[in-house]
Amino acid sequence: MHFFWLDLRYGARMLAKAPAFTAVALLTLALGMGAATAIFSVVDTVLLKPLPFRDAERLLVIWEQNVSHHLDRTFVSPADFLAWQRQSHAVERMAALQDTRINLSGGPNGHMEPEELKGERVTADLFPLLGVEPTVGRAFRPEEDRPGNTNFVLLSHSLWQRRFAGDPGIAGKTIRLRDHPYTVVGVLPPAFAVTESGVDVFVPLGLNPADAHTVNNRFLRVIARRRGSLDQARAELDALGAQLERAQPALNTGWRPEVFDLREELVGGVRRALWVLMAAVGCLLLMACVNVANLLLARGATRAREIALRSALGAGRGRIVAQFLTESVLLALGGAALGWLLAAGAIYLLVHAGPASVPRLAQVAIDLRLFGFTLAISLATEILFGMAPAMQGARSPLSVALNEGGRGGSAGRAGRRIRNTLVSTEVALAVVVLIAAGLLMRSFIRLRGVDPGFRPAGMLTVRVPLAGGHNGATDRRIAFFRDVTDRVGALPGVRGVGAVNALPLTGLDVGATFAVVGRPAMDQAMRPVALSRSITPGYFGAMGIPLLAGRALGDSDTAQSAPVVVVNQTLARDFWPRGGAVGGRLAVDLAAGTRVAEIVGVVGDTKAESVDSADWPTIYSPYPQLPSTALTLTVRTAGPPLGLASAVTREVHRLDPEQPVADVRPMEEVVNLAMAGARFNTVLLVSFAGVAFLLAAVGIYGVISYDVSQRTNEIGIRMALGAQPVDVRRLIMGQGARLAVYGIGAGLLGAGLVTRFMRTMLFGVDPADAWTYAAISVLLALVALGASFVPSRRAMALDPVTALRHE
Amino acid sequence: MIILRNLEKFYEGGYGRSYVLRRVNVEIKDGEFVTIMGPSGAGKSTLLSILGMLDGAWTGEFEFVGHMVHRLKPKERVELNKKYIGFVFQSYHLIDNLTVYENLDIPLSYRNVKSSERASMVCDTLDRFHIVGKRDLYPSQLSGGQQQLVAVARAVIAHPQLILADEPTGNLHSSQGKEIMELFKKLNGEGTTIVQVTHSAENAAYGDRVIQLADGWVVSGASVGDRQD
Repeated sequence: MHFFWLDLRYGARMLAKAPAFTAVALLTLALGMGAATAIFSVVDTVLLKPLPFRDAERLLVIWEQNVSHHLDRTFVSPADFLAWQRQSHAVERMAALQDTRINLSGGPNGHMEPEELKGERVTADLFPLLGVEPTVGRAFRPEEDRPGNTNFVLLSHSLWQRRFAGDPGIAGKTIRLRDHPYTVVGVLPPAFAVTESGVDVFVPLGLNPADAHTVNNRFLRVIARRRGSLDQARAELDALGAQLERAQPALNTGWRPEVFDLREELVGGVRRALWVLMAAVGCLLLMACVNVANLLLARGATRAREIALRSALGAGRGRIVAQFLTESVLLALGGAALGWLLAAGAIYLLVHAGPASVPRLAQVAIDLRLFGFTLAISLATEILFGMAPAMQGARSPLSVALNEGGRGGSAGRAGRRIRNTLVSTEVALAVVVLIAAGLLMRSFIRLRGVDPGFRPAGMLTVRVPLAGGHNGATDRRIAFFRDVTDRVGALPGVRGVGAVNALPLTGLDVGATFAVVGRPAMDQAMRPVALSRSITPGYFGAMGIPLLAGRALGDSDTAQSAPVVVVNQTLARDFWPRGGAVGGRLAVDLAAGTRVAEIVGVVGDTKAESVDSADWPTIYSPYPQLPSTALTLTVRTAGPPLGLASAVTREVHRLDPEQPVADVRPMEEVVNLAMAGARFNTVLLVSFAGVAFLLAAVGIYGVISYDVSQRTNEIGIRMALGAQPVDVRRLIMGQGARLAVYGIGAGLLGAGLVTRFMRTMLFGVDPADAWTYAAISVLLALVALGASFVPSRRAMALDPVTALRHE
Repeated sequence: MIILRNLEKFYEGGYGRSYVLRRVNVEIKDGEFVTIMGPSGAGKSTLLSILGMLDGAWTGEFEFVGHMVHRLKPKERVELNKKYIGFVFQSYHLIDNLTVYENLDIPLSYRNVKSSERASMVCDTLDRFHIVGKRDLYPSQLSGGQQQLVAVARAVIAHPQLILADEPTGNLHSSQGKEIMELFKKLNGEGTTIVQVTHSAENAAYGDRVIQLADGWVVSGASVGDRQD
């Protein structure tokens, strides 16, 4: 024990006496371990941990697809859902969900600040199917999921905490939703989510098989629990789909169920990106270990004389090894402590700044096992390379070590080869990470360069949901939005105002099949699909969507006037390739029936779902002729958009103080959100690339610098033999260049293999993009030369006489 | 070949100048075999470094093969070294990571000799010094005598007019030392000027003249005047 404390004290003193070495080693380890632990923890939580449901591996999600319409993963009609539920044997239980928005206006104690909540209408089977029990109260009873008797609600844990102060007696109390009383039956466990995260309330779906109006529309997500294998479930449901097609051709021609594993459905979209990030941090961890190994080897070599002296003074091999072991462990634990802090910071950032598209991201925390794993790797590196000089020193003859200072000879050559190989490996890893980051960066720049079809800058958006409230009635809706847009338009600083039922870049939202009037009638199943947008007259002007032909929609287009629509360029081009769309007539299939309207104008395309998606045919209808329950105001502002947020909200509340508003945000934020996934991947990988770049530079610098110090005598000899300073520079920088060339060569091969897996993450950039490969190669070559330049200057400045005396 | 006039080297210290060489006036003629002797700290190796253009921080005049070295820039001094001088050191100073062949090639590579010519010069030298069998060995695989033999071979490979040898037999046993000194004698006989630093009177006997140094002063043996004070 005495020796342990002695070694510990001596080790700490040795580390303190080499502050540059200690700082670089600690920082390198911390960066590698911190980044690796953070991303490993994300991957573990998101991809590897089982879903928090009973027998989660047997859970399925079922969509419908229509090959002839090129429609994939579409919602399911209640008619089909009920039929599958009745007839399927391969599926043990089935539940349906529908996304919705619900206005909250009162709690158990009366009036509450109105708020639009994110909700899901669900069948009562959902919770038993998932095996989830509410933490307070109970789940829905079957009788609470019947048409006309659905005013029951389950609260999310976060809403319960946020709006009801975690009231333990909330079950059985009444709150006001959609301006109606709803009985709270329970509170769900924290972070409960099925397919959508951040849902505040769950209400019964109350499907009515007899309601012909809704039963044939496709709006449900279906979750199921299979009995047998996934293939059995697929085969059986496919056969059921064929039966339903024959039984109900009007509804089901061309439609088939599409069955997926629930986990695959949830994480499939982010799986590849996370594995790429994991590979990148794996590279970083390796690079950090290689760097530390190199530092330790270099430092160990300079201590050969110390080891020899200790041996000469009677220290046994065990004592010397124990001394070096203590130092290595001390360094690894110091790096681990810093790495822990870094990982905690990184996870905090990931959880709070990560995109909503990554499921279960909020549940990510530092995983002790994963931290232990990275600690074990760094400890192994430290022990292996930290003790190598001690092992070697204890074996080599004393006289040699004392006289030669451990310099030269075959052992020196072997050590140099190992260090060079390690640095080339490090450069190769850096090339792989940098190329991956470079590709993502180019892809992201391309993505940013895509014209979304409107001008997002200087625009405020405010969602105004009317559903269920005082303004829910159709007539009231039309008047309400006319008044709101008039009032907002009159505000100082407002240059234009419009409203739309679904903003660009927020999703496909409402779609409808349609036909061109006067052309041969198409079978219902073959009819094309367009997005349906309901807008107020100022929408195109405020958004900056260009009018290409005809006229925009105006105040004269009322509920009583002739039905009119404006179509986008894609629809006009697809159906009137030679022009002349204006004046054409469309028959649009809506929930309320078919609406025939004349095309009065053509406008430019806007991106509906994401910046990199194709343009959808879109039909714009005047709001009075197609009044939806919620619109989003689009306010073009003279100054910063958020500067008008309170004024716009005030105008809405002047008309109705009970009317909630939601999603008050600049349009630029909407655009940013649409690119959040790509930005997340890019920012992370570019950060890793920055670290990799730094590690590679430090690695090359460390090795060359150490080599210069080891080769001082050689440089003196060369100078004595006629070498000019420029020859010395060539010698030193040549070594750096050689290491870089080997590393870059290997890295390019590695990148060629790795980046193939990134194809789906890239937009407008080939994974084998020659420009990126070339730029990164040149960059790394410059780094290698730059990192060798400083030591080479030191070498050039050596005094040959002093250098010759150097041992 | 070499004329030194009032050459001095000193270091500035807090207590004033500390002289290593003091008013050195020495002349060495072409084809001479000169030995520099003196006790430790007398300035022998420093003088040799200055003669070899390795040390440029001195005052006085230094004429070498008609060139006024004291007026030359460092780069030009290196050129003189490359053209006329070969070095042999006490501790051989072979480059550990290079083979015998590669060690011999170094001086030629710094003299811009074509690679084909270099190969033939290296092979000739290996042959001349009877070390063909060692060409692929590393210095650590050779005995001290063999290493010094390679060091001498390296010093003469570029056909220098002057060989500067700093204690060339200091690390060798007597028979190896004798062998090296015989080699120097032979080279001198072939016309190469040799200046050696040694403590050994036996080695000094191989030369024509001894320059005796003490505390930086030339005590005797300078052909241009004797001690100047």
